[in-house]
Amino acid sequence: MRARLPQRVLPPLGFALIVLGSWYGVARHLANPQLLPSPWTVGVALVDLLGNGDMVDDILASLGHLGLGYGIGAGIGLIMAALCARFAALETAIDPLVELLRPIGAIAWIPFAILMFGVGSTVPVFLISYGAAFPIFVATLAGMHGVDRALLAAGQALGASKRMLITHVVFPAALPHVLAGARLSLGVAWAAMVAAELTGSDSGLGWRLFWYQEFFRMDRVMAVIVVIGVLGVAADALLRALRQAVVGWSPEDSNAA
Amino acid sequence: MRRDRWIAITTVVCIVLLWQVAISANGLHAKVPSPLGIVAAIAAHVADGSLPSALRDSFLRVAKGFAIAALIGLPVGTAMGMTPILARAVAPFLDALRSIAPIAWIPIAVLWLGVRGDAAVFIVTYAAVLPLALSAHQAVRLIDQRLLQASHALGAGWFLTLRAVIIPGSIPVLITAVRVSMGFAWGAVIAAELAVGVKIGPGQGSQGIGQMMIETLYVRRDVDTLAMCMLCVGLVSLAIDAGARGLGRRLAPWKV
Repeated sequence: MRARLPQRVLPPLGFALIVLGSWYGVARHLANPQLLPSPWTVGVALVDLLGNGDMVDDILASLGHLGLGYGIGAGIGLIMAALCARFAALETAIDPLVELLRPIGAIAWIPFAILMFGVGSTVPVFLISYGAAFPIFVATLAGMHGVDRALLAAGQALGASKRMLITHVVFPAALPHVLAGARLSLGVAWAAMVAAELTGSDSGLGWRLFWYQEFFRMDRVMAVIVVIGVLGVAADALLRALRQAVVGWSPEDSNAA
Repeated sequence: MRRDRWIAITTVVCIVLLWQVAISANGLHAKVPSPLGIVAAIAAHVADGSLPSALRDSFLRVAKGFAIAALIGLPVGTAMGMTPILARAVAPFLDALRSIAPIAWIPIAVLWLGVRGDAAVFIVTYAAVLPLALSAHQAVRLIDQRLLQASHALGAGWFLTLRAVIIPGSIPVLITAVRVSMGFAWGAVIAAELAVGVKIGPGQGSQGIGQMMIETLYVRRDVDTLAMCMLCVGLVSLAIDAGARGLGRRLAPWKV
């Protein structure tokens, strides 16, 4: 049922042209690049910033925050989920804590993080870890609980050791959930990163937004926003490709956590 | 199940007690929030009316931004569901916009709308409108094709089809969408108020709960009040979740 190529490409292309055209029209009409820079100026600013290396530094700083924070957060989420799946008592004990902390959301921790760590890279790293830990924890735990009992029983009947049951039954069955959770976590982490850099950091793309605003360089602000969007799409596409490569056999919607 | 609940309550009580004892024993009152300190902060801020007023300001912003988002997002999403060519044109665009964190728009929102709170409303609208539109689109696509064919065969025009088949059929999906996007909206308003507060400093700005946190952070450095604000943010999230679930049970009792 896939539409032919022109049918898939032309409508979005047409719509993009309409959006860019009206943006350009309004910007020209206002003729005030400090209020609304035209798409052309934004493009020039983007090339300029990429060319002189400023943007590259910001991107690297943000990706550093993201990589470290996401690694810590997702790691904690995964390990806790595995422990909770193994020891039921731990899950009962930890569940109220999770339900208490989860609704508070990473954003609400920003002032506290600034107070604890001071303005700097630790604030975004802490918030990204906090935000990323919960979705992957919840999804992984659900995946491990959802392992088909019949498969476990079959494995046991065929004489699999406990370790084999984990590596050959539980792990593959939970993997789609883990990867779905990883994607959710990345989305949360991305938003937390921008918010934390904006408010409590001295480097990264989010920090640059206010920096350029100080100088009324709205063209550069927009260029940073474009980069945030493009990197967000790219990161999500990466995890989707990973999912497709590792657990392509599992239908996409059945593992929505 | 009952036993689990007791374990849960006991754990929470034990943690709170240990937390209090640890802080009292070490004299860390000013540096780490303590349960008793949080209770005292709640009492003080409810008594002088600042907590209810901050929560009301933030929540009104969410309500306003969410209403605008629903007025834009739901019709656009439904139209996308009913006209595939529109969906093919707009959906990739909406998907791409979704990976820009709403808070990234704050410099521009402040520039266009000022710091008094309209910037936060803009961020809320942005955070809620994309998931609402995409879910409305999804909701229409999930409607049983046989119902659409039946209404077509019975001679219903597009308006009657919309009113009698598509809207009632979308409600269960939309309820979930409302729940999720209202949660985003609440997170977005806090982020926006915090960012505005960091930008322009204490003493002015949006008067919401985020602003209150910034004042606490930069002026009074009172960890108990900070923890109280965080607790309130969490409680409002839970209330939004419960409210949307309740709405779902009422509007679509056959589904939930």
